[in-house]
Amino acid sequence: MEDRKVNGSFGYRARKDWIRNRSLYILVIPVVVFYFMFHYKPMYGAIIAFKDYTPALGVSESPWVGFANFTRFFKSVYFGRLIKNTILLSVYNLIFGFPAPIILALLLNEVRNKRFKSITQTITYLPHFISLIVVTGMLTNFSMTTGLFNDIIAFFGGERSPLLQDPKLYRTIYVASSIWQEVGWGSIIYLSALAGVDSQLYEAAQIDGAGKWKQLIHVTMPAIAPTIIIMLIMKMGSLMNMGYEKTILLYNPSTYETADIISSHIYRIGLLDQDWSYSTAIGLFNSVINFGLLLITNKISKRYSETSLW
Amino acid sequence: MRKRTLSLFLTAAMTATALAGCGGGNTGTPEATTQAQTTAAGGSGEAQASNGSGGGEAPGEFSYPMAPGDKLTYWCELTTTVSANYASLGDTPFGKGWQAETGTEIEFLHPPAGQLKEQFSLILADGNLPDLMEYNWMTDYPGGPEKAIKDGVILPLNDVFEQYCPNLTAYLAANPDIDKMIKTDEGHYYVFPFIRGEKKLCNTIGLMLRDDWLQELNLEVPTTIDEWHTVLTAFKEKKGAAAPYCFEYTNGQYLTNDPFAFAYETSRSFYLGSDGKVHFGAAEENYKDFLTTMAQWYAEGLIDPDLATLGSDQVSAKITNGTAGASMGQAGSRMGTWTTAARSSNPTFKLVAAPPPTVEKGADAEFGQIENQYSGRASVAITTSCKDIERAARLMDYAYGEEGHLYFNFGTEGESYEMKDGYPTYTDQIMKNPDGLPVSQAMSAYIRGNYNGPFVQDIRYLEQYYTLDEQKETNGIWGDSNGAAHVMPPVTPTSEESKEFSTIMNEINTYRDEMTLKFIFGTESLDNFDTYVKNMENMGLARALEIQNAALDRYNAR
Repeated sequence: MEDRKVNGSFGYRARKDWIRNRSLYILVIPVVVFYFMFHYKPMYGAIIAFKDYTPALGVSESPWVGFANFTRFFKSVYFGRLIKNTILLSVYNLIFGFPAPIILALLLNEVRNKRFKSITQTITYLPHFISLIVVTGMLTNFSMTTGLFNDIIAFFGGERSPLLQDPKLYRTIYVASSIWQEVGWGSIIYLSALAGVDSQLYEAAQIDGAGKWKQLIHVTMPAIAPTIIIMLIMKMGSLMNMGYEKTILLYNPSTYETADIISSHIYRIGLLDQDWSYSTAIGLFNSVINFGLLLITNKISKRYSETSLW
Repeated sequence: MRKRTLSLFLTAAMTATALAGCGGGNTGTPEATTQAQTTAAGGSGEAQASNGSGGGEAPGEFSYPMAPGDKLTYWCELTTTVSANYASLGDTPFGKGWQAETGTEIEFLHPPAGQLKEQFSLILADGNLPDLMEYNWMTDYPGGPEKAIKDGVILPLNDVFEQYCPNLTAYLAANPDIDKMIKTDEGHYYVFPFIRGEKKLCNTIGLMLRDDWLQELNLEVPTTIDEWHTVLTAFKEKKGAAAPYCFEYTNGQYLTNDPFAFAYETSRSFYLGSDGKVHFGAAEENYKDFLTTMAQWYAEGLIDPDLATLGSDQVSAKITNGTAGASMGQAGSRMGTWTTAARSSNPTFKLVAAPPPTVEKGADAEFGQIENQYSGRASVAITTSCKDIERAARLMDYAYGEEGHLYFNFGTEGESYEMKDGYPTYTDQIMKNPDGLPVSQAMSAYIRGNYNGPFVQDIRYLEQYYTLDEQKETNGIWGDSNGAAHVMPPVTPTSEESKEFSTIMNEINTYRDEMTLKFIFGTESLDNFDTYVKNMENMGLARALEIQNAALDRYNAR
């Protein structure tokens, strides 16, 4: 009761808050509308995963089929392989791709020559702006027996071979090229976090006799740890979300064994064969796993580091 | 820290909002469609009513152009030779003339390049259908054409043909085999079809190789598998070709029509066996023989080592620069283009068509590439949203009449063609375009005869389109097989079966594509061929064949 007097009713508080922060609320409206229109409203369409959808009948009129689309996926001969490929590819992407921008940012942070630093930064950003079609086109050509990669291999005395036709090499090519594409761009956020570290801390550490390495471990890393963890949680949430674009541009039947992932499978069935319900079911299944991963990572992070999304 | 994270999120969200604005351009089309439809509502009722009451025009009295009326919306893919110079079919001389000749105002709607199927589904989901839609209704509507009628998307056209389409009706009466192709099993007409007017036009893909090299090495054009082996080996050893045989492996139509598979009287997909039943080639013993030869050639370096990743650019480069000496493809877009490109630096460059190879010397080729005269492609259906059905039907019927036939295949007399001794001959506007356009693009501005659409294609277009002698020979050489007896007729599974069929075939095709390459590359031993067949059987191959055979029976009973 006491509380109520101080804070007033919900309506009263809301009104007061509105008056005080009106401009902030107005600013946030487009974002809320955006999320509603493009992220919440389309969720309604996910019910076609439980229906036999035909565009002519529409979402609401198509007949219900229960979990038939899901069981079809679980029973598919490719189910195990798709899950395995998706997980392996994203885990490799995480293990090798996640630390790369952090390392680059730490290295750049130590560079004292302004000019050199900005040139390096620009060069590492550039691949991010090259269209995926171009990137994969280059990779395909470079990987051919007469391509650049094979020229390099041959220069060091290796045997020329069609690299993109070898299932064993596919993941390496995929992950390495992803790192090349995104390392510079991904380092921006860490660089900004590094810029926020108080220089007095470094001075204090120096006085205590810490060298560069010790400063890195005891000052820099703790300072950017929250950023790293948030980025990691967000990345975990999209662990299974391997986009189909790069895969369908890079794979061919001879590398399906390691290259075919859930999203490329959806693409082939959903968009090319127009089996919307089935592909939605797989997509939904994928999202549920993603959501679970996000929750778990968040929980772990909350327990051990006080940093979490909510 | 929390605050910083929050602001990070907000910034990200705002950026996303800003970006979303860029995608907004597409939404205009469906609205435009609705408007066209509502305005069309007025006049249409009358047209139909007057005809029903018997006071309307009998087919004989009708003549083009029609009296001005409401605008029709027409949805179709814009082929690349048109989109190179025009944003819409309505901007081309062809589109303008077509509207003037028929007295119909048409609003053309085109899906973005390469997104035909996606846009098709979006339009259907949206529900605002254009009046006329050009699409492959036979194979690309989930569930098939009969389902499209049942779903209330398109109209059955039997009555429409009878009432308003004297030209098409006459054509179908004269060509009963085509009449059979364009119906559903239930006997419904559903489209104004794209028809290849002659069997010769159905023969588009074949083997070709360097004639100048053959002359130099004193070799004949190969006709058997063994002769091919000799020629390719000679190309490799004597001409230094790193990839003697090289073709666009990523292009599905080349795989389905692989002449070397045909040599072993098989195919990677469904074919009609001599027993009158449907067979799935890739699961049969002959396919193993084909793979054995391919694996041997691959191991000997006679086939391009980068086979699986080859696109048209790479093949084009290899053929023109002499890395490869043999390939397969079309006479126009491949043989002609390559020859023109290569001759600028190597004037003696010449490709020659090779006949469908056989295993035995001198045997008649049993299999060969040939398409059905009606493939379902680029055929126009009238949707249930169309208000003025008579106008739409008469617009489409125009192309199947004498005047329209000439117009679709040759354009406007005096402008794009002249009649010389009763033979429509393209003018220099087409053949030596003053603006320097390639023949294919100049043609596409005035006609549809050089690609496709709702009309009957005329062989006389092709006779002029092919300018090189070696191109003109191709039809005779490539067509020299009994292939027509083995090509699948345009059968349609029932709507209930079609889903089951595509589910099964999806898995099988993926598996076949993967294993075929592994067998060729030698990463999988051909001793495992039986396991491979067994796996396909476990995926439901027998059921798929049962569905296809039932569809074939229904087709034969049409």
